[in-house]
Amino acid sequence: MSLELRGISVTLGHGDARVTVLDGLDATFAAGTATALVGPSGSGKSTLLAVAGALLRPDAGQVLLDGADLAALSERDRARARRERIGYMFQSGNLLGGLVVVDQLLAAASIAGRSHRQLRPRAEELLTELGLGHRLRHRADQLSGGERQRVALGRALLLEPALLLVDEPTAAVDRTQARALTELIVGTTAGRGCVTVIATHDPAVLAVADSAFDMAPSPPERLSA
Amino acid sequence: MHLALLELKAARGRFLLMGAVVVLVAALVGIVSGFTTGLGDDTVSALRRLSATDLAFSPDVKTDQFARSLVGADTLAAWQRQPGVRATGLGVALTRGTTERGVEVDLAAFGVDPAVFLSPGVERGARLAEDGQVVVSGKLADQGVRIGDTLTVDRIGVRLTVVGVTGSSAYGHVPVAYVTPATWQRIRFAVPGAQQATAELPYQYSAVAIQAVPGTDLAAVDRRLGTRTVPLADAFAAAPGYSGEKVTMTSIQTFLYLIAPLVVGAFFGIWTVQRQPELALLRALGASRRRLLGHTLAQASAVVVGGTLVGAALAGAVGLLLGAQVPFSLPAPTLAATMATVALAGLAGAALTLRRVATADPTTMLGAGR
Repeated sequence: MSLELRGISVTLGHGDARVTVLDGLDATFAAGTATALVGPSGSGKSTLLAVAGALLRPDAGQVLLDGADLAALSERDRARARRERIGYMFQSGNLLGGLVVVDQLLAAASIAGRSHRQLRPRAEELLTELGLGHRLRHRADQLSGGERQRVALGRALLLEPALLLVDEPTAAVDRTQARALTELIVGTTAGRGCVTVIATHDPAVLAVADSAFDMAPSPPERLSA
Repeated sequence: MHLALLELKAARGRFLLMGAVVVLVAALVGIVSGFTTGLGDDTVSALRRLSATDLAFSPDVKTDQFARSLVGADTLAAWQRQPGVRATGLGVALTRGTTERGVEVDLAAFGVDPAVFLSPGVERGARLAEDGQVVVSGKLADQGVRIGDTLTVDRIGVRLTVVGVTGSSAYGHVPVAYVTPATWQRIRFAVPGAQQATAELPYQYSAVAIQAVPGTDLAAVDRRLGTRTVPLADAFAAAPGYSGEKVTMTSIQTFLYLIAPLVVGAFFGIWTVQRQPELALLRALGASRRRLLGHTLAQASAVVVGGTLVGAALAGAVGLLLGAQVPFSLPAPTLAATMATVALAGLAGAALTLRRVATADPTTMLGAGR
Protein backbone atom coordinates (compact mmCIF):
# COMPACT_ATOMS: atom_id res chain seq x y z
CA MET A 1 0.00 0.00 0.00
CA SER A 2 1.44 3.39 -0.93
CA LEU A 3 0.65 6.87 -2.10
CA GLU A 4 2.56 8.13 -5.10
CA LEU A 5 2.28 11.64 -6.55
CA ARG A 6 3.64 12.05 -10.06
CA GLY A 7 4.15 15.41 -11.77
CA ILE A 8 1.48 17.19 -9.73
CA SER A 9 0.83 20.78 -10.78
CA VAL A 10 -1.78 23.03 -9.24
CA THR A 11 -2.47 26.66 -10.07
CA LEU A 12 -4.97 28.57 -7.96
CA GLY A 13 -6.69 31.94 -8.38
CA HIS A 14 -7.70 33.92 -11.44
CA GLY A 15 -6.16 36.64 -13.58
CA ASP A 16 -3.40 38.57 -11.86
CA ALA A 17 -4.01 36.57 -8.67
CA ARG A 18 -3.06 33.25 -10.28
CA VAL A 19 -0.41 31.42 -8.31
CA THR A 20 1.29 28.15 -9.16
CA VAL A 21 1.28 26.33 -5.84
CA LEU A 22 2.62 22.95 -6.94
CA ASP A 23 4.75 22.61 -10.05
CA GLY A 24 5.48 19.10 -11.22
CA LEU A 25 5.74 17.65 -7.72
CA ASP A 26 6.84 14.03 -7.35
CA ALA A 27 6.62 12.26 -4.01
CA THR A 28 6.10 8.79 -2.63
CA PHE A 29 4.70 7.93 0.80
CA ALA A 30 5.01 4.40 2.11
CA ALA A 31 2.45 2.37 4.01
CA GLY A 32 2.88 2.17 7.80
CA THR A 33 4.85 5.41 7.93
CA ALA A 34 3.87 8.89 9.04
CA THR A 35 5.47 11.63 6.96
CA ALA A 36 5.56 15.23 8.18
CA LEU A 37 5.04 17.87 5.50
CA VAL A 38 6.94 20.97 6.53
CA GLY A 39 7.54 24.34 5.01
CA PRO A 40 6.48 27.95 5.38
CA SER A 41 2.89 29.12 4.91
CA GLY A 42 2.00 29.21 1.25
CA SER A 43 4.51 26.52 0.29
CA GLY A 44 1.69 24.18 -0.75
CA LYS A 45 1.33 21.81 2.22
CA SER A 46 -2.46 22.11 2.39
CA THR A 47 -2.75 21.97 -1.38
CA LEU A 48 -0.74 18.77 -1.42
CA LEU A 49 -3.08 17.30 1.21
CA ALA A 50 -6.12 18.41 -0.82
CA VAL A 51 -4.75 16.80 -3.98
CA ALA A 52 -3.67 13.61 -2.20
CA GLY A 53 -7.04 13.40 -0.48
CA ALA A 54 -9.09 13.74 -3.67
CA LEU A 55 -10.50 17.06 -2.52
CA LEU A 56 -8.83 18.97 -5.32
CA ARG A 57 -8.14 17.75 -8.84
CA PRO A 58 -4.63 18.78 -9.96
CA ASP A 59 -4.14 20.61 -13.24
CA ALA A 60 -1.67 17.91 -14.19
CA GLY A 61 -0.20 14.75 -12.75
CA GLN A 62 -1.30 11.52 -11.12
CA VAL A 63 -2.33 10.67 -7.55
CA LEU A 64 -1.80 6.93 -7.24
CA LEU A 65 -3.26 5.28 -4.16
CA ASP A 66 -2.41 1.60 -4.40
CA GLY A 67 -1.95 2.12 -8.11
CA ALA A 68 -5.38 3.71 -8.74
CA ASP A 69 -5.22 7.28 -10.04
CA LEU A 70 -7.49 9.45 -7.87
CA ALA A 71 -6.90 12.47 -10.13
CA ALA A 72 -8.52 10.68 -13.04
CA LEU A 73 -11.73 9.89 -11.19
CA SER A 74 -15.02 11.72 -11.67
CA GLU A 75 -16.19 13.98 -8.86
CA ARG A 76 -18.62 11.29 -7.75
CA ASP A 77 -15.92 8.62 -7.60
CA ARG A 78 -13.53 10.95 -5.80
CA ALA A 79 -16.25 11.51 -3.17
CA ARG A 80 -16.58 7.73 -2.86
CA ALA A 81 -12.81 7.40 -2.46
CA ARG A 82 -12.87 10.02 0.29
CA ARG A 83 -15.56 8.26 2.29
CA GLU A 84 -14.25 4.71 1.78
CA ARG A 85 -10.45 4.92 1.56
CA ILE A 86 -9.28 8.19 3.07
CA GLY A 87 -9.38 9.50 6.63
CA TYR A 88 -8.99 13.18 7.48
CA MET A 89 -8.03 15.21 10.50
CA PHE A 90 -8.42 18.91 9.80
CA GLN A 91 -6.82 21.76 11.68
CA SER A 92 -10.17 23.14 12.85
CA GLY A 93 -13.87 22.71 12.32
CA ASN A 94 -13.39 18.99 12.50
CA LEU A 95 -16.52 18.12 14.40
CA LEU A 96 -20.23 18.52 13.75
CA GLY A 97 -21.79 20.91 16.24
CA GLY A 98 -24.27 19.48 18.69
CA LEU A 99 -23.42 15.82 18.08
CA VAL A 100 -22.05 13.72 20.93
CA VAL A 101 -18.64 12.12 20.53
CA VAL A 102 -19.77 8.65 19.48
CA ASP A 103 -22.20 10.15 16.94
CA GLN A 104 -19.32 12.10 15.37
CA LEU A 105 -17.89 8.73 14.33
CA LEU A 106 -21.23 7.23 13.37
CA ALA A 107 -21.97 10.23 11.15
CA ALA A 108 -18.95 9.26 9.05
CA ALA A 109 -20.25 5.69 8.94
CA SER A 110 -23.62 6.98 7.71
CA ILE A 111 -21.94 9.02 4.99
CA ALA A 112 -20.17 5.87 3.83
CA GLY A 113 -23.48 4.04 3.75
CA ARG A 114 -22.46 1.72 6.59
CA SER A 115 -24.77 0.56 9.35
CA HIS A 116 -24.41 2.83 12.36
CA ARG A 117 -25.90 0.10 14.54
CA GLN A 118 -23.24 -2.41 13.52
CA LEU A 119 -20.41 0.09 13.82
CA ARG A 120 -21.42 1.55 17.19
CA PRO A 121 -19.51 -1.05 19.26
CA ARG A 122 -16.41 -0.56 17.08
CA ALA A 123 -16.73 3.25 17.41
CA GLU A 124 -16.97 3.03 21.20
CA GLU A 125 -14.03 0.63 21.35
CA LEU A 126 -11.92 2.90 19.15
CA LEU A 127 -12.75 5.96 21.23
CA THR A 128 -11.83 4.06 24.36
CA GLU A 129 -8.49 3.14 22.77
CA LEU A 130 -7.95 6.85 22.11
CA GLY A 131 -8.60 7.66 25.76
CA LEU A 132 -12.11 9.00 25.25
CA GLY A 133 -14.08 6.17 26.83
CA HIS A 134 -15.42 8.55 29.47
CA ARG A 135 -16.44 11.13 26.86
CA LEU A 136 -18.68 9.09 24.57
CA ARG A 137 -21.85 11.06 25.39
CA HIS A 138 -20.24 14.51 25.54
CA ARG A 139 -20.85 17.12 22.87
CA ALA A 140 -17.98 18.62 20.88
CA ASP A 141 -18.21 21.93 22.74
CA GLN A 142 -17.61 20.11 26.03
CA LEU A 143 -14.22 18.78 24.91
CA SER A 144 -10.71 20.22 25.06
CA GLY A 145 -8.77 20.94 21.87
CA GLY A 146 -6.75 17.74 22.24
CA GLU A 147 -9.85 15.66 22.86
CA ARG A 148 -11.49 17.08 19.76
CA GLN A 149 -8.49 16.12 17.68
CA ARG A 150 -8.59 12.60 19.10
CA VAL A 151 -12.29 12.37 18.19
CA ALA A 152 -11.36 13.45 14.67
CA LEU A 153 -8.64 10.79 14.62
CA GLY A 154 -11.15 8.18 15.75
CA ARG A 155 -13.55 9.24 13.01
CA ALA A 156 -10.76 9.09 10.43
CA LEU A 157 -9.78 5.57 11.54
CA LEU A 158 -13.24 4.05 11.99
CA LEU A 159 -13.51 2.71 8.45
CA GLU A 160 -9.86 1.52 8.28
CA PRO A 161 -8.62 4.00 5.66
CA ALA A 162 -5.69 3.30 3.35
CA LEU A 163 -4.63 6.93 3.60
CA LEU A 164 -4.71 9.22 6.66
CA LEU A 165 -4.27 12.93 5.98
CA VAL A 166 -3.67 15.23 8.92
CA ASP A 167 -3.57 19.03 8.77
CA GLU A 168 -1.81 20.87 11.63
CA PRO A 169 -3.04 18.50 14.34
CA THR A 170 -1.24 20.28 17.17
CA ALA A 171 -2.12 23.88 16.31
CA ALA A 172 -4.75 24.18 19.04
CA VAL A 173 -3.22 22.06 21.81
CA ASP A 174 -0.48 22.55 24.39
CA ARG A 175 3.02 21.10 24.06
CA THR A 176 2.32 18.00 26.19
CA GLN A 177 -0.88 17.17 24.36
CA ALA A 178 0.81 17.88 21.05
CA ARG A 179 3.47 15.26 21.64
CA ALA A 180 0.94 12.72 22.95
CA LEU A 181 -1.34 13.30 19.97
CA THR A 182 1.50 13.02 17.47
CA GLU A 183 2.71 9.80 19.08
CA LEU A 184 -0.82 8.49 18.89
CA ILE A 185 -1.06 9.27 15.17
CA VAL A 186 2.35 7.81 14.39
CA GLY A 187 1.72 4.74 16.53
CA THR A 188 -1.67 4.19 14.92
CA THR A 189 -0.11 4.48 11.48
CA ALA A 190 2.42 1.79 12.26
CA GLY A 191 -0.20 -0.43 13.85
CA ARG A 192 -2.68 -0.18 10.99
CA GLY A 193 -0.30 0.01 8.10
CA CYS A 194 -1.90 3.02 6.48
CA VAL A 195 -0.13 5.85 4.67
CA THR A 196 -0.12 8.96 6.86
CA VAL A 197 0.80 12.48 5.78
CA ILE A 198 0.85 15.26 8.36
CA ALA A 199 1.10 18.92 7.37
CA THR A 200 2.67 20.82 10.24
CA HIS A 201 4.72 23.77 11.48
CA ASP A 202 5.34 22.04 14.80
CA PRO A 203 8.91 20.78 15.47
CA ALA A 204 7.37 18.29 17.94
CA VAL A 205 5.60 16.55 15.08
CA LEU A 206 8.75 16.57 13.02
CA ALA A 207 10.60 14.93 15.90
CA VAL A 208 8.12 12.07 16.20
CA ALA A 209 7.24 11.47 12.51
CA ASP A 210 8.90 8.63 10.63
CA SER A 211 10.10 10.96 7.90
CA ALA A 212 9.66 14.50 6.61
CA PHE A 213 9.08 16.22 3.31
CA ASP A 214 10.14 19.84 2.98
CA MET A 215 7.93 21.92 0.72
CA ALA A 216 10.15 25.03 0.87
CA PRO A 217 12.74 24.21 -1.80
CA SER A 218 11.82 23.93 -5.45
CA PRO A 219 11.42 21.12 -6.08
CA PRO A 220 10.39 19.97 -2.56
CA GLU A 221 12.69 17.37 -1.10
CA ARG A 222 12.54 14.55 1.40
CA LEU A 223 14.50 15.20 4.59
CA SER A 224 16.55 12.51 6.17
CA ALA A 225 14.99 10.92 9.25
CA MET B 1 -31.11 9.51 6.84
CA HIS B 2 -29.38 8.67 10.11
CA LEU B 3 -27.20 11.75 9.73
CA ALA B 4 -30.24 13.94 9.04
CA LEU B 5 -31.86 12.63 12.22
CA LEU B 6 -28.66 13.21 14.19
CA GLU B 7 -28.59 16.82 13.02
CA LEU B 8 -32.29 17.27 13.79
CA LYS B 9 -31.70 15.92 17.27
CA ALA B 10 -28.61 18.06 17.80
CA ALA B 11 -30.39 21.26 16.74
CA ARG B 12 -33.80 20.32 18.10
CA GLY B 13 -34.32 23.71 19.74
CA ARG B 14 -34.01 25.55 16.46
CA PHE B 15 -36.08 23.01 14.56
CA LEU B 16 -38.80 23.06 17.22
CA LEU B 17 -38.91 26.84 17.02
CA MET B 18 -39.25 26.66 13.25
CA GLY B 19 -41.81 23.89 13.59
CA ALA B 20 -43.81 26.10 15.95
CA VAL B 21 -43.84 28.87 13.35
CA VAL B 22 -45.06 26.41 10.70
CA VAL B 23 -47.72 25.18 13.14
CA LEU B 24 -48.98 28.73 13.64
CA VAL B 25 -48.97 29.53 9.92
CA ALA B 26 -50.75 26.26 9.09
CA ALA B 27 -53.29 26.76 11.89
CA LEU B 28 -53.92 30.32 10.77
CA VAL B 29 -54.40 29.24 7.15
CA GLY B 30 -56.74 26.47 8.34
CA ILE B 31 -58.76 28.84 10.49
CA VAL B 32 -58.99 31.44 7.72
CA SER B 33 -60.02 28.66 5.34
CA GLY B 34 -62.68 27.56 7.83
CA PHE B 35 -64.03 31.09 8.04
CA THR B 36 -63.90 31.48 4.26
CA THR B 37 -65.95 28.35 3.76
CA GLY B 38 -68.19 29.09 6.73
CA LEU B 39 -68.90 32.66 5.70
CA GLY B 40 -69.48 31.51 2.13
CA ASP B 41 -71.94 28.89 3.32
CA ASP B 42 -73.63 31.42 5.56
CA THR B 43 -74.08 33.71 2.59
CA VAL B 44 -75.12 31.38 -0.20
CA SER B 45 -75.98 27.96 1.25
CA ALA B 46 -79.66 28.57 0.43
CA LEU B 47 -78.72 29.37 -3.16
CA ARG B 48 -76.51 26.27 -3.35
CA ARG B 49 -79.47 24.15 -2.25
CA LEU B 50 -81.62 25.37 -5.10
CA SER B 51 -82.03 22.56 -7.58
CA ALA B 52 -81.63 24.93 -10.51
CA THR B 53 -78.92 25.19 -13.14
CA ASP B 54 -79.42 28.88 -13.94
CA LEU B 55 -81.20 31.97 -12.74
CA ALA B 56 -82.71 34.60 -15.04
CA PHE B 57 -82.82 38.17 -13.73
CA SER B 58 -84.18 41.37 -15.19
CA PRO B 59 -81.57 42.65 -17.68
CA ASP B 60 -81.08 46.14 -16.28
CA VAL B 61 -79.65 44.95 -12.93
CA LYS B 62 -75.95 44.14 -12.82
CA THR B 63 -75.35 43.87 -9.06
CA ASP B 64 -77.31 42.87 -5.97
CA GLN B 65 -79.78 41.18 -8.33
CA PHE B 66 -81.80 39.33 -5.69
CA ALA B 67 -82.79 42.64 -4.07
CA ARG B 68 -83.17 44.69 -7.23
CA SER B 69 -84.29 42.36 -9.98
CA LEU B 70 -87.97 41.88 -10.74
CA VAL B 71 -89.23 39.44 -13.34
CA GLY B 72 -92.89 39.49 -14.25
CA ALA B 73 -95.37 36.64 -14.55
CA ASP B 74 -95.51 36.99 -18.35
CA THR B 75 -91.78 36.50 -18.58
CA LEU B 76 -91.97 33.48 -16.26
CA ALA B 77 -94.71 31.96 -18.37
CA ALA B 78 -92.65 32.55 -21.50
CA TRP B 79 -89.68 30.80 -19.95
CA GLN B 80 -91.89 27.88 -18.99
CA ARG B 81 -92.85 27.47 -22.64
CA GLN B 82 -89.26 27.14 -23.84
CA PRO B 83 -88.21 23.66 -24.99
CA GLY B 84 -85.51 21.98 -22.88
CA VAL B 85 -86.28 24.17 -19.92
CA ARG B 86 -88.16 23.86 -16.65
CA ALA B 87 -88.76 27.20 -14.98
CA THR B 88 -90.31 28.50 -11.79
CA GLY B 89 -90.38 31.82 -9.99
CA LEU B 90 -88.02 32.54 -7.12
CA GLY B 91 -88.52 35.38 -4.67
CA VAL B 92 -85.89 36.54 -2.22
CA ALA B 93 -86.42 39.20 0.46
CA LEU B 94 -84.74 39.96 3.77
CA THR B 95 -87.10 40.73 6.60
CA ARG B 96 -87.69 40.20 10.27
CA GLY B 97 -90.34 38.41 12.30
CA THR B 98 -91.54 37.66 15.81
CA THR B 99 -93.31 34.56 17.13
CA GLU B 100 -96.25 34.77 19.51
CA ARG B 101 -93.82 33.64 22.24
CA GLY B 102 -91.72 36.71 21.62
CA VAL B 103 -88.84 35.09 19.70
CA GLU B 104 -87.47 37.75 17.36
CA VAL B 105 -85.59 36.55 14.28
CA ASP B 106 -84.08 37.89 11.09
CA LEU B 107 -85.10 35.80 8.12
CA ALA B 108 -84.58 35.59 4.39
CA ALA B 109 -87.96 34.88 2.87
CA PHE B 110 -87.61 32.60 -0.16
CA GLY B 111 -90.74 32.47 -2.26
CA VAL B 112 -90.94 29.08 -3.97
CA ASP B 113 -93.74 27.16 -5.61
CA PRO B 114 -94.36 24.10 -3.40
CA ALA B 115 -95.43 22.04 -6.40
CA VAL B 116 -92.20 22.28 -8.40
CA PHE B 117 -88.50 21.66 -8.14
CA LEU B 118 -87.51 24.42 -5.72
CA SER B 119 -89.75 23.16 -2.92
CA PRO B 120 -87.54 22.41 0.11
CA GLY B 121 -87.55 19.03 1.80
CA VAL B 122 -88.12 18.95 5.54
CA GLU B 123 -86.32 17.25 8.40
CA ARG B 124 -89.27 17.69 10.74
CA GLY B 125 -92.94 18.60 10.30
CA ALA B 126 -94.74 19.03 6.98
CA ARG B 127 -93.66 20.31 3.61
CA LEU B 128 -94.74 23.70 2.40
CA ALA B 129 -98.23 23.36 0.89
CA GLU B 130 -100.21 26.59 0.86
CA ASP B 131 -100.17 30.33 1.39
CA GLY B 132 -99.65 31.48 4.97
CA GLN B 133 -97.32 28.58 5.77
CA VAL B 134 -93.59 28.69 6.32
CA VAL B 135 -90.87 26.06 6.41
CA VAL B 136 -87.94 27.38 8.40
CA SER B 137 -84.24 26.67 8.26
CA GLY B 138 -82.76 24.63 11.09
CA LYS B 139 -80.95 27.78 12.18
CA LEU B 140 -84.28 29.48 12.93
CA ALA B 141 -85.33 26.42 14.88
CA ASP B 142 -82.07 26.76 16.85
CA GLN B 143 -83.08 30.33 17.66
CA GLY B 144 -86.34 29.15 19.18
CA VAL B 145 -88.86 29.07 16.33
CA ARG B 146 -90.96 25.90 16.67
CA ILE B 147 -93.34 23.99 14.45
CA GLY B 148 -96.84 25.32 15.17
CA ASP B 149 -95.63 28.81 16.04
CA THR B 150 -97.16 31.80 14.35
CA LEU B 151 -94.45 34.00 12.95
CA THR B 152 -95.55 37.58 12.28
CA VAL B 153 -93.50 39.58 9.81
CA ASP B 154 -92.59 42.85 11.50
CA ARG B 155 -94.20 46.13 10.36
CA ILE B 156 -96.38 44.54 7.68
CA GLY B 157 -98.14 42.06 9.93
CA VAL B 158 -98.16 39.06 7.59
CA ARG B 159 -98.82 36.02 9.78
CA LEU B 160 -97.16 32.72 8.93
CA THR B 161 -97.71 29.32 10.47
CA VAL B 162 -94.53 27.29 10.93
CA VAL B 163 -95.26 23.86 9.46
CA GLY B 164 -91.79 22.34 9.00
CA VAL B 165 -88.08 22.62 9.61
CA THR B 166 -85.61 22.06 6.78
CA GLY B 167 -81.82 21.73 6.86
CA SER B 168 -79.59 24.60 7.80
CA SER B 169 -79.57 27.14 5.01
CA ALA B 170 -78.87 30.83 4.94
CA TYR B 171 -78.70 33.77 2.58
CA GLY B 172 -76.57 36.82 3.37
CA HIS B 173 -75.87 35.47 6.88
CA VAL B 174 -79.62 35.33 7.53
CA PRO B 175 -81.50 32.02 8.02
CA VAL B 176 -83.98 31.18 5.30
CA ALA B 177 -87.74 30.76 5.63
CA TYR B 178 -89.54 29.20 2.66
CA VAL B 179 -92.99 30.55 1.79
CA THR B 180 -95.25 30.32 -1.27
CA PRO B 181 -94.81 32.90 -4.06
CA ALA B 182 -98.05 34.63 -3.10
CA THR B 183 -96.96 34.91 0.53
CA TRP B 184 -93.56 36.15 -0.58
CA GLN B 185 -95.18 38.81 -2.76
CA ARG B 186 -97.21 39.98 0.24
CA ILE B 187 -93.97 40.35 2.18
CA ARG B 188 -91.98 41.89 -0.66
CA PHE B 189 -94.56 44.36 -1.95
CA ALA B 190 -96.67 45.20 1.10
CA VAL B 191 -96.67 48.79 2.30
CA PRO B 192 -95.00 48.91 5.69
CA GLY B 193 -97.40 50.00 8.41
CA ALA B 194 -100.54 49.22 6.41
CA GLN B 195 -103.08 47.15 8.32
CA GLN B 196 -103.64 44.93 5.31
CA ALA B 197 -101.55 43.98 2.38
CA THR B 198 -101.85 46.10 -0.70
CA ALA B 199 -105.01 45.13 -2.59
CA GLU B 200 -103.35 44.24 -5.84
CA LEU B 201 -99.86 42.89 -5.40
CA PRO B 202 -97.53 42.77 -8.44
CA TYR B 203 -97.25 39.25 -9.73
CA GLN B 204 -93.50 39.35 -9.87
CA TYR B 205 -90.41 37.45 -8.69
CA SER B 206 -86.79 38.21 -8.00
CA ALA B 207 -85.71 35.73 -10.65
CA VAL B 208 -86.74 32.79 -12.75
CA ALA B 209 -85.12 29.57 -11.55
CA ILE B 210 -84.27 27.33 -14.49
CA GLN B 211 -83.46 23.69 -14.96
CA ALA B 212 -82.04 23.57 -18.47
CA VAL B 213 -81.12 20.55 -20.54
CA PRO B 214 -77.40 20.79 -21.38
CA GLY B 215 -76.85 22.53 -24.69
CA THR B 216 -79.94 24.70 -24.45
CA ASP B 217 -79.23 28.13 -25.91
CA LEU B 218 -80.24 30.23 -22.92
CA ALA B 219 -78.67 33.36 -24.41
CA ALA B 220 -81.06 33.16 -27.35
CA VAL B 221 -83.98 32.86 -24.92
CA ASP B 222 -82.63 35.85 -23.00
CA ARG B 223 -82.60 37.90 -26.19
CA ARG B 224 -86.17 36.99 -26.98
CA LEU B 225 -87.56 37.43 -23.46
CA GLY B 226 -85.47 40.35 -22.27
CA THR B 227 -83.82 38.63 -19.32
CA ARG B 228 -80.24 38.08 -18.22
CA THR B 229 -79.44 34.48 -17.32
CA VAL B 230 -76.44 33.41 -15.29
CA PRO B 231 -75.38 29.97 -14.06
CA LEU B 232 -76.40 29.31 -10.47
CA ALA B 233 -72.80 29.46 -9.16
CA ASP B 234 -72.28 32.84 -10.83
CA ALA B 235 -75.40 34.13 -9.12
CA PHE B 236 -73.72 33.67 -5.73
CA ALA B 237 -71.95 36.96 -6.35
CA ALA B 238 -75.37 38.61 -6.24
CA ALA B 239 -75.80 37.60 -2.59
CA PRO B 240 -75.12 40.48 -0.19
CA GLY B 241 -71.47 40.67 0.86
CA TYR B 242 -70.47 37.44 -0.86
CA SER B 243 -67.90 38.88 -3.27
CA GLY B 244 -66.39 41.25 -0.70
CA GLU B 245 -66.03 38.54 1.91
CA LYS B 246 -64.58 36.11 -0.58
CA VAL B 247 -62.01 38.61 -1.85
CA THR B 248 -61.03 39.56 1.70
CA MET B 249 -60.64 36.03 2.99
CA THR B 250 -58.94 34.81 -0.17
CA SER B 251 -56.48 37.71 0.07
CA ILE B 252 -55.61 36.76 3.65
CA GLN B 253 -55.14 33.15 2.60
CA THR B 254 -53.00 34.14 -0.35
CA PHE B 255 -50.75 36.25 1.85
CA LEU B 256 -50.38 33.37 4.27
CA TYR B 257 -49.46 31.08 1.39
CA LEU B 258 -46.79 33.62 0.44
CA ILE B 259 -45.60 34.03 4.01
CA ALA B 260 -45.18 30.28 4.56
CA PRO B 261 -42.38 29.76 1.99
CA LEU B 262 -40.72 33.02 2.98
CA VAL B 263 -40.58 32.07 6.66
CA VAL B 264 -39.44 28.51 6.00
CA GLY B 265 -37.02 29.68 3.30
CA ALA B 266 -35.55 32.33 5.61
CA PHE B 267 -35.06 29.77 8.39
CA PHE B 268 -33.40 27.22 6.17
CA GLY B 269 -31.41 29.98 4.45
CA ILE B 270 -29.93 31.12 7.77
CA TRP B 271 -29.54 27.52 8.91
CA THR B 272 -27.64 26.67 5.73
CA VAL B 273 -25.37 29.72 5.97
CA GLN B 274 -24.60 28.85 9.60
CA ARG B 275 -23.71 25.29 8.74
CA GLN B 276 -21.62 25.99 5.65
CA PRO B 277 -18.45 24.84 7.48
CA GLU B 278 -20.21 21.63 8.51
CA LEU B 279 -21.51 21.09 4.99
CA ALA B 280 -17.94 21.55 3.74
CA LEU B 281 -16.75 19.04 6.35
CA LEU B 282 -19.39 16.51 5.28
CA ARG B 283 -18.42 16.99 1.65
CA ALA B 284 -14.76 16.53 2.57
CA LEU B 285 -15.63 13.31 4.37
CA GLY B 286 -17.16 12.06 1.16
CA ALA B 287 -20.84 12.96 1.41
CA SER B 288 -22.22 13.37 -2.09
CA ARG B 289 -24.18 16.45 -3.11
CA ARG B 290 -27.22 14.26 -3.60
CA ARG B 291 -26.95 12.94 -0.06
CA LEU B 292 -26.64 16.44 1.43
CA LEU B 293 -29.59 17.66 -0.62
CA GLY B 294 -31.56 14.63 0.51
CA HIS B 295 -30.71 15.33 4.14
CA THR B 296 -31.74 18.96 3.82
CA LEU B 297 -35.02 18.03 2.16
CA ALA B 298 -35.68 15.35 4.76
CA GLN B 299 -35.13 17.85 7.56
CA ALA B 300 -37.31 20.44 5.84
CA SER B 301 -40.01 17.83 5.25
CA ALA B 302 -39.95 16.77 8.89
CA VAL B 303 -40.36 20.37 10.05
CA VAL B 304 -42.88 21.44 7.40
CA VAL B 305 -45.03 18.29 7.28
CA GLY B 306 -44.93 17.80 11.06
CA GLY B 307 -45.74 21.47 11.67
CA THR B 308 -48.52 21.39 9.10
CA LEU B 309 -50.12 18.30 10.62
CA VAL B 310 -50.11 19.85 14.08
CA GLY B 311 -51.42 23.11 12.59
CA ALA B 312 -54.22 21.17 10.87
CA ALA B 313 -55.17 19.54 14.16
CA LEU B 314 -55.13 22.95 15.83
CA ALA B 315 -57.38 24.47 13.15
CA GLY B 316 -59.75 21.51 13.46
CA ALA B 317 -59.81 21.93 17.24
CA VAL B 318 -60.62 25.62 16.86
CA GLY B 319 -63.52 24.65 14.59
CA LEU B 320 -64.84 22.23 17.19
CA LEU B 321 -64.51 24.81 19.96
CA LEU B 322 -66.34 27.44 17.94
CA GLY B 323 -69.18 25.04 17.21
CA ALA B 324 -72.19 26.54 15.50
CA GLN B 325 -71.78 29.93 17.15
CA VAL B 326 -69.86 31.42 14.25
CA PRO B 327 -69.88 30.69 10.53
CA PHE B 328 -66.95 28.27 10.48
CA SER B 329 -66.80 25.22 8.26
CA LEU B 330 -63.71 23.12 7.65
CA PRO B 331 -64.63 19.84 5.96
CA ALA B 332 -61.86 17.25 5.68
CA PRO B 333 -61.23 17.71 1.92
CA THR B 334 -60.90 21.49 2.37
CA LEU B 335 -58.58 21.04 5.34
CA ALA B 336 -56.48 18.49 3.44
CA ALA B 337 -56.20 20.69 0.35
CA THR B 338 -55.34 23.76 2.44
CA MET B 339 -52.69 21.96 4.46
CA ALA B 340 -51.19 20.37 1.34
CA THR B 341 -50.81 23.87 -0.11
CA VAL B 342 -49.14 25.11 3.08
CA ALA B 343 -46.77 22.14 3.08
CA LEU B 344 -45.89 22.59 -0.58
CA ALA B 345 -45.36 26.31 -0.09
CA GLY B 346 -43.10 25.60 2.91
CA LEU B 347 -41.09 23.01 1.01
CA ALA B 348 -40.77 25.41 -1.90
CA GLY B 349 -39.25 27.90 0.55
CA ALA B 350 -36.80 25.28 1.80
CA ALA B 351 -35.92 24.38 -1.78
CA LEU B 352 -34.65 27.93 -2.30
CA THR B 353 -31.69 27.09 -0.08
CA LEU B 354 -30.66 23.93 -1.92
CA ARG B 355 -28.24 25.65 -4.26
CA ARG B 356 -26.15 26.81 -1.32
CA VAL B 357 -26.17 23.27 0.10
CA ALA B 358 -25.06 21.84 -3.23
CA THR B 359 -22.19 24.29 -3.62
CA ALA B 360 -20.53 23.69 -0.23
CA ASP B 361 -16.79 23.52 -1.00
CA PRO B 362 -14.84 20.71 0.70
CA THR B 363 -11.47 22.29 -0.06
CA THR B 364 -12.21 25.07 2.44
CA MET B 365 -11.54 22.50 5.16
CA LEU B 366 -7.87 22.64 4.19
CA GLY B 367 -7.79 26.22 3.05
CA ALA B 368 -6.43 24.85 -0.18
CA GLY B 369 -8.93 26.48 -2.48
CA ARG B 370 -7.99 30.00 -1.47
